[in-house]
Amino acid sequence: MEKFLLKNIENPDSADINEYVKAGGYKNLSKVLESGPKEVVEEVKKSGLRGRGGAGFPTAMKWSFAMADPKFPKYLMCNADEGEPGTFKDRPILEKNPHLLIEGMVISGYALGSEYGYIYLRGEYPEANDILNAAIRQAYEKNYLGDNINGKGVRFHLSVHQGAGAYICGEETALIESIEGKKGQPRNKPPFPVNVGAWSMPTIVNNVETLSNLPYIIEIGGEAYSRIGSSECPGPKLFSVSGHVERPGVYELPMGISLKDIIYNHAGGIKDNAKLKAVIPGGISTPVLPPDSIDCAMDFVSMPKAGSMLGSGAVIVMDDSVCMVRVAYRALKFFEHESCGKCVPCREGTDWLRKVLERIEYGKGTEGDIELLSDIAEIMSGKTFCPLGDGAAGVVTAMIKHFRDEFEEHIKNRKCSLADSY
Amino acid sequence: MITLTINEKEVTLDKPVSVLEAARQAGIKIPTLCYHEALKPFGGCRLCVVEVERMPKLQTACTLMSADGMIVKTESEVISRVRRGILEFLLINHPLDCPYCDKAGECELQDLVNKYGPTVGRYKEEKRKVPESHKDHIFARNMERCVVCTRCVRMCNDVQGASAISMMGRGNHTRMEPFSADSFNCEYCGNCLTVCPVGAILSRLYIHSFRPWQVDSEVKTICSYCGVGCSLVAQVRDDSIKRVIPEMGLGVNKGLLCSRGRFGYEFINSRERLKTPLIRKKGRLEESTWSEALNLVAEKLSEIKKTEGGSAIAGIASPRCSNEDNYIFQKFMRMACGSNNIDSVSRTGFAAAQKYFEELMGQGITANIIEGLKNSEVIFVVGGDPTSVNPILGLSIREASRRGAKIVVLGNAKGLERFKNVQVIPPVFKEADALEELLAGVSGARGVRGEKPDIDRGISALSGKYSGKSDIGGLEELKNALLDSPSTAIVFGMDLVQRADGHRAIFAVAGLTYLLEARLYLLSEKPNEQGLIDAGCVPDMLPGARPLNIHDFKTKFETAWGGAIPDKNGMTLLEIIEGAKNRDIKALYIMGENPVFNLPDGPFVKEALGSLDFLVVQDIFTTETAEFADVVLPALGWSEKAGTYTNLERRIQLQKKAVNALSGMEDWKIITEVSCKMGYKMAYSEAEDIMDEIAEVSPLYRDLSYREIGKGNCLWPYHGEPLRGEIHELPAMAESSSGNYGADFYLALEKPLFHSGTLSRRSPALMKICPEPTLKISSAAAEKLRLQEGDRVQVSTSVGSVEVAVSIDESIKDNKVLLSNNFEGKGVFSLLTYKLDPVTKAPGIEGCEVRIEKL
Repeated sequence: MEKFLLKNIENPDSADINEYVKAGGYKNLSKVLESGPKEVVEEVKKSGLRGRGGAGFPTAMKWSFAMADPKFPKYLMCNADEGEPGTFKDRPILEKNPHLLIEGMVISGYALGSEYGYIYLRGEYPEANDILNAAIRQAYEKNYLGDNINGKGVRFHLSVHQGAGAYICGEETALIESIEGKKGQPRNKPPFPVNVGAWSMPTIVNNVETLSNLPYIIEIGGEAYSRIGSSECPGPKLFSVSGHVERPGVYELPMGISLKDIIYNHAGGIKDNAKLKAVIPGGISTPVLPPDSIDCAMDFVSMPKAGSMLGSGAVIVMDDSVCMVRVAYRALKFFEHESCGKCVPCREGTDWLRKVLERIEYGKGTEGDIELLSDIAEIMSGKTFCPLGDGAAGVVTAMIKHFRDEFEEHIKNRKCSLADSY
Repeated sequence: MITLTINEKEVTLDKPVSVLEAARQAGIKIPTLCYHEALKPFGGCRLCVVEVERMPKLQTACTLMSADGMIVKTESEVISRVRRGILEFLLINHPLDCPYCDKAGECELQDLVNKYGPTVGRYKEEKRKVPESHKDHIFARNMERCVVCTRCVRMCNDVQGASAISMMGRGNHTRMEPFSADSFNCEYCGNCLTVCPVGAILSRLYIHSFRPWQVDSEVKTICSYCGVGCSLVAQVRDDSIKRVIPEMGLGVNKGLLCSRGRFGYEFINSRERLKTPLIRKKGRLEESTWSEALNLVAEKLSEIKKTEGGSAIAGIASPRCSNEDNYIFQKFMRMACGSNNIDSVSRTGFAAAQKYFEELMGQGITANIIEGLKNSEVIFVVGGDPTSVNPILGLSIREASRRGAKIVVLGNAKGLERFKNVQVIPPVFKEADALEELLAGVSGARGVRGEKPDIDRGISALSGKYSGKSDIGGLEELKNALLDSPSTAIVFGMDLVQRADGHRAIFAVAGLTYLLEARLYLLSEKPNEQGLIDAGCVPDMLPGARPLNIHDFKTKFETAWGGAIPDKNGMTLLEIIEGAKNRDIKALYIMGENPVFNLPDGPFVKEALGSLDFLVVQDIFTTETAEFADVVLPALGWSEKAGTYTNLERRIQLQKKAVNALSGMEDWKIITEVSCKMGYKMAYSEAEDIMDEIAEVSPLYRDLSYREIGKGNCLWPYHGEPLRGEIHELPAMAESSSGNYGADFYLALEKPLFHSGTLSRRSPALMKICPEPTLKISSAAAEKLRLQEGDRVQVSTSVGSVEVAVSIDESIKDNKVLLSNNFEGKGVFSLLTYKLDPVTKAPGIEGCEVRIEKL
């Protein structure tokens, strides 16, 4: 498949505006400014584009809510808080192809009637911060940003806001709180950000990858775009593959490609021909899949049927040297650390789950601990304020479902049989 | 109309509310922990989960809005399981130290676990350990018990507007902490205490001293500090007040309190309370008996009345005493002593302003409901900081700001720094000029209203005076904000009344009120400033604000009281003091007031009181004034007696008796005893009898009874007839203030949040919060004088000098330096001189140059 999102990134100067323009960049913006905002929305609607942040919400629908709200100004926020463990798909865009994102944001801002954009950038991406800021400066110089874009009287201003290291700020309402200068914690919904977002104004939060698809949709047209990959969620998708594979990395592939295909063809199969034990298909908060379940289509609609979720498309591959109790424990350590503390089930539940997993992993588990884990996860599940706690509970539930024997073995033998390999 | 079904019960709502509130309206209780009626929903505890038909997941009732046709179940096996689970979660890190925790017995977590929780916990690991913090003088903070409901933080940010505390840390390490780290740097309202569901924040005033179930009685009464008259509940055990708490939704304050109201009650137990009457013998005050003291007072006053005439006797009433006390006091002065020389320290502000406003605009112009402030579009604050003088009124202004109202301020107002939209700082002591200019501008845009010819004439006169463009920064913006506002409130503090031309400021504010059809609020420092005017403790009016010089009124009262009332209007407060100095006044009876401390030019007041033949002081403490007395009579204080108080909205409320005093008598009772001995009979068995008499004799209070007042909605004009007459002739107004104020610094009065003077400085808690006076200076002044926070300085004026520490206050934007009048020996009034305003007779304390030397 022809690459679009990762086009030209082999060029060492791909982040430079001249190189981007040389490769055809910003021509889609110019095209849009000729036709008008309504046409953009129309194309996005036709394209069937779904949000690439993890939830897969139809982008055109999100936009239409914000556009129906009469309040101005409207804010466009790019969610670049790429914090989900295993996920590094946005990073090549941010570092290698920043103008693609900027072009996508200007097109989106124009379509939405928004004149102010923010890129909420993960604090742990300092290089991306420098690159983005340099790119924004260049875009202002070349009049792709500012008060009179391309001489068409169109206004769009863009700036980067660096996060301070909180995973929860990838949740859109927490992101907005953080941009407002408050502690990153999710807000009550409704009202939704599309109506009452940043500074109480309509706010559209889209993922880096989502916004970067905009120039492509304009280039080939919504209809042609909708024919790429799965029919229900079309388009190219970035997959970040890590773990025990021969060629870890970011792959731009059509949506709906089989997980098995990604691992065995594109990523070169399991490292050192070891035996595959488990795959986490969409970032740490998506349920783990055993080897016999990986022949599934990687898109938002098919993955739940396979017992997991597409999430951010971060494929974590584990061979049989990995202890699944330890994976669960490490995952929960992450969730406990990142729980914002707002709601009780997540705040206390992640802490408790981690402690129980820790004692099982270190040979101090007792009978009944598996039931206790399931019980805690069940009380958390669906009752937390935002999906963070849900994800944490889901990890434990899936681990027990698929690898219960490993848990039992830990408790029975009072030790982790793979502990020596760490 | 929304109709939904909750637990198979149909609930119809007038307006859309959350499912939780809808259930409460229907009498269905859903357990909650982070929800609080005074706060916005948070959705953190997840205890209020309910099942809603056609919604796959459980929903939190506090955040879910009711919708027509919704079918809700609040109890089920699934819901119980979740609630049990959530409570188990909450307990894993909770110390379970209930036997030791003060909250036990009124702890929401304890109650919830009792009802919904598991009996046994499954948590085996170590609990989170956080040592209890006692670094603050008032608040004990125990973050092991904290359930992170954030009610305290939401109260502090969203209601109080102090934003002094926050949830620090993340996840399981989240804890409440003041931004100032260990001790609190806040307004000490203690409203966080009210909302804490567990024992995470406790007041050190009562920690470990009693259990909630050991309270003998709870007395719903009102606060004794300022003119708002907040409702509060005094919890009594062993005849002593253990704690003061508010009741949600009750009274003017709707469950909120300020530092003085919540923590300032301990003065009643002060060891310095007067125990027996004192009589001066050979120059020294010595303990005596009631009969000896009362006989002496009656004898002396009778003698002076006989030899010098009633007009040689004067009385100073008290805005801290009840309507009943003050009514009896003026009746005694007029009937037993034969004198209209009755006034109070309110003359220095409220009484002076209130009278002139009513002369201009008619009676009742200041009787506006505090709650209405919230709904204003523009609030114009002038002459003082409402959040320190009347903190609860100040909160309504902050609330209005949050609702989108514009707050426009003339002068400094510290507590509104983060809430104001426009601020105008006029040249020092030229505030009246600025107000006149504003009025001229508003009338230029609005034209003449034509309803009050006198005021219209006065305004027209100003229009010629200010025609050019204003030199005062921001005045134009302020004017436009007022002109654009469909609903304006004006909040007027007393700072500008205390000017030699204070009447000009009052006229200008009256003119603005008139042209903008604004609602006017007067800030009132003391609890019964309005009440004492209405009770007749003014030299020119009888009870019910009936002018003395209208014959019909006078004869009516003479008939009711059985005797003659002197014809001539009496002297005002400072005329009385000057009269004492001139020997026109020979005897002075002071009830519950401390003029030596509370009037400007302390040395002069001392000299004047020293010149009297006979001085009676009736108080609960041996005050600076009592030191000059011939007889000192111990009275009763707040919570020791019943009585009614009229707040700044003119709402009459009942202050109730909660405890028995160790000594002393009600003020009214002491006076009736003296009166009887002087031959004018007054007999009442309790305060209620006096109110019955007032209701009979005063047309304003017609038909009022304790029963009705007790209901809490006794609002102006009651069932009475306010006097609608206005002045027929505008008193000659002073021209622009002539003073030339070119000095580096001027000394002015600071009205602090934590103190009110005589009472607050005997309240240990308030003394801990604010132990000593500081000279507040702007950062510009600090730079100029090379002073740093905490430096000791000598502050000197032409009258006197004190030594204090300096404190830098960013809210001061002119060249005034401020000192409070609350601390013994360090009151600003001892350093200030005054000049009487010819119209209002308030003391003008302006242009007092000050020297500040670093020590």
